Amino acid sequence: MTSSQKKALKTNLIGYSFVVPNFIGYFIFIFIPVCFSFVLSVMKWDGSDAPMQFVGLENFAKLFRDSTFIISLQNTVWYAVFTVPLTLVAALLIAVLLNSKIKGMVAYRTAFFFPYVASLVAVGAVWNMLFQPEFGPINEFLKWIGIANPPKWCASTDWAMWVIIIVSVWKYMGYYMVVYLAALQGISGDLYEAASIDGATGIKKLWYITIPMLTPTTFFVVIMLTIQCFKVFDLIYVMTGGGPGRATNVLVNHIYNAAFVDFKFGYASASALILFAIVLVVTLIQMRGERKFTDFV
Amino acid sequence: MKKRQLTALSMAAVMTAVSLAGCGGSEPAATEAPAAGGNTATEAPAADGGAASGEKVKLTVSVWDNSSSPQFQCIADAFMEKNPDVDVELLDTQADEYNNKVTVMLAGGDTDPDVIMVKDADTQAGMQQKNQLLDLTDYIAKDGIDLSLYNGAAEQLQIDGKQYTLPFRRDWYMLFYNKDLFDAAGVEYPSDDMTWDEFEALAKQMTSGEGSAKVYGSHNHTWMAMVANWAIQDGKNTLLAEDYSFLKPYYEQALRMQDEGVVQSYANLKTGSIHYISVFEQQQCAMIPMGSWFVATLLQDKKDGKFDFNWGVTKIPHPEGVAAGSTVGSVTPIAINAKTDVPDVAWEFVKFATSEEGAEILADNSVFPAISSDAVIDKLASIEGYPEDGKSALEVKNFVFDRPLDAKMPSVRKVIEEEHDLIMIGEEDIDTGIANMNQRAKEAMEE
Repeated sequence: MTSSQKKALKTNLIGYSFVVPNFIGYFIFIFIPVCFSFVLSVMKWDGSDAPMQFVGLENFAKLFRDSTFIISLQNTVWYAVFTVPLTLVAALLIAVLLNSKIKGMVAYRTAFFFPYVASLVAVGAVWNMLFQPEFGPINEFLKWIGIANPPKWCASTDWAMWVIIIVSVWKYMGYYMVVYLAALQGISGDLYEAASIDGATGIKKLWYITIPMLTPTTFFVVIMLTIQCFKVFDLIYVMTGGGPGRATNVLVNHIYNAAFVDFKFGYASASALILFAIVLVVTLIQMRGERKFTDFV
Repeated sequence: MKKRQLTALSMAAVMTAVSLAGCGGSEPAATEAPAAGGNTATEAPAADGGAASGEKVKLTVSVWDNSSSPQFQCIADAFMEKNPDVDVELLDTQADEYNNKVTVMLAGGDTDPDVIMVKDADTQAGMQQKNQLLDLTDYIAKDGIDLSLYNGAAEQLQIDGKQYTLPFRRDWYMLFYNKDLFDAAGVEYPSDDMTWDEFEALAKQMTSGEGSAKVYGSHNHTWMAMVANWAIQDGKNTLLAEDYSFLKPYYEQALRMQDEGVVQSYANLKTGSIHYISVFEQQQCAMIPMGSWFVATLLQDKKDGKFDFNWGVTKIPHPEGVAAGSTVGSVTPIAINAKTDVPDVAWEFVKFATSEEGAEILADNSVFPAISSDAVIDKLASIEGYPEDGKSALEVKNFVFDRPLDAKMPSVRKVIEEEHDLIMIGEEDIDTGIANMNQRAKEAMEE
């Protein structure tokens, strides 16, 4: 071994020593369980010493006969279809507004980012109070502006999911606002200058320069948001517990119940794999789309 | 160069250590407290009855909310006093996470906990199916335990004629009321022999005021038990049923009381996560049907000055044609882990905790034990602060389990509670809700 090789090895070792702790954690707590979950999905197992039974695809067949699974799947899609675009638009608009030099900009940015770092349990409790159907401030306001029968929000199967969507948008838009802000800083001022000379107005600049230049970021945001939406659990667990009835039951809820209430680990793993497959497919489609639409950048 | 490498490695080591320490940070404070006796217990006793070697045998018992109820600590302390060679360690978990925690511990095949307090009796069937519970039948025969002491509760815990658990606590529903509100209204206190219809009329009479000053006649917490328990009080039906139509009259009553403003609306309580303790203690309701565990809460809270009115307690109302003193409730069984390394010591603990002696210790701490001998009832009735006229609430004539101890019950419970939710918020009418219960419970049982 030459001395330069030795030196390279040493440098590499230092690098590895930084990576190893994280990688050990990843391997033990993520990689092995994920592989185990694939095996479990074709087994019947109650989590005890009793040996697992191989059942083939029976777990998957059962899933599509289970009304709770179907409802959970529908609810998850419903939640994602509304939360992703709403969060995206809100984050983009706030980012564009806060990218200009206005007074107290830092304070505004902090205010919009704050929900993202706030404790989810506290956030859920406060929003539950705001949406309280009989004497909550939101319904008091709706009655005041002349709506005689405001929605019952979390106590109504039609409205409970909307509460979750509204709170999700509020909580997560701040994070994606920061992502957009970073991207906005990267757009060259020359483009806007040139547009101004050509006589473009603010709206036109937004539409013809800002939004197209942000396309790669938008793809990133859409993918991250979609994955996040399909994995939604905590907010629902805190705010409605999946209720009323099954109105806000989502896939992760269903997986949790199957595994830790009913102790059907095989069945739960099968639903987890379905969730994995959905997220994978959505991401693949979006990645193909990204290549197609961002060629010009 | 060498120095940098060393720094990097040691930093990595520190980071790993920090992240590991972060995981278990909160545990020791809770679990180590009982070991304050100043001994160094062996980590893993080599054999049963390790006392011979001069070292203490360590016995682990899984419990919940140890800091907020004396029920486990008082028994552990008394047991250690009688058996100085045993060191009892309580493994404490939060109540709502308890069942999951036990499941995970047992699934791991660990020898700990040696003794399991079973929080919800219907979960014992699942544990037994997974062969996680030690069969106590032989121990019971050997030591000649008289099961009749438990008024039938022990027999109801049996699975296929074998005893895997013994009853530790027994709780049942009673009717608590606010004496000051009754006095102010000039209405006689609730009697210990009321039908549910008479109760409803009384609740209506006791409802008064408007807005924030409103006093509701009664209070129904959001548990399905607050409707379903009265439907099974006659002992003819259980919540593991093919047809749930026996619930209908009780849903009609619950919805009627809610519509007439005699009880707070379910939707309000649920969305506001309102606890029944605050409703009663802040004098927002005149009566409240609640489990006997509420006695200890009220005694403690009044002592702590959280409220300042006189409360009373009497027998729960009953359906027409059912004797007064018939009530619904549940037991808290104790089991032994099939994998325990100290089965004999564990049995001694279970025997002590479920004995008459153990029952009297519990009663001294205002906890309701499974054995309700005259001595125990006298003790409970004479607790400082317990209403003098409340003794009749302690006398139980017929005791029905709130849920059958069937392995299918937890899954069925989940689906019928979802329908309960929809009926109570008015999203489903009673007939639709019951039809859905029938169908979904059937699906859950077939799985």
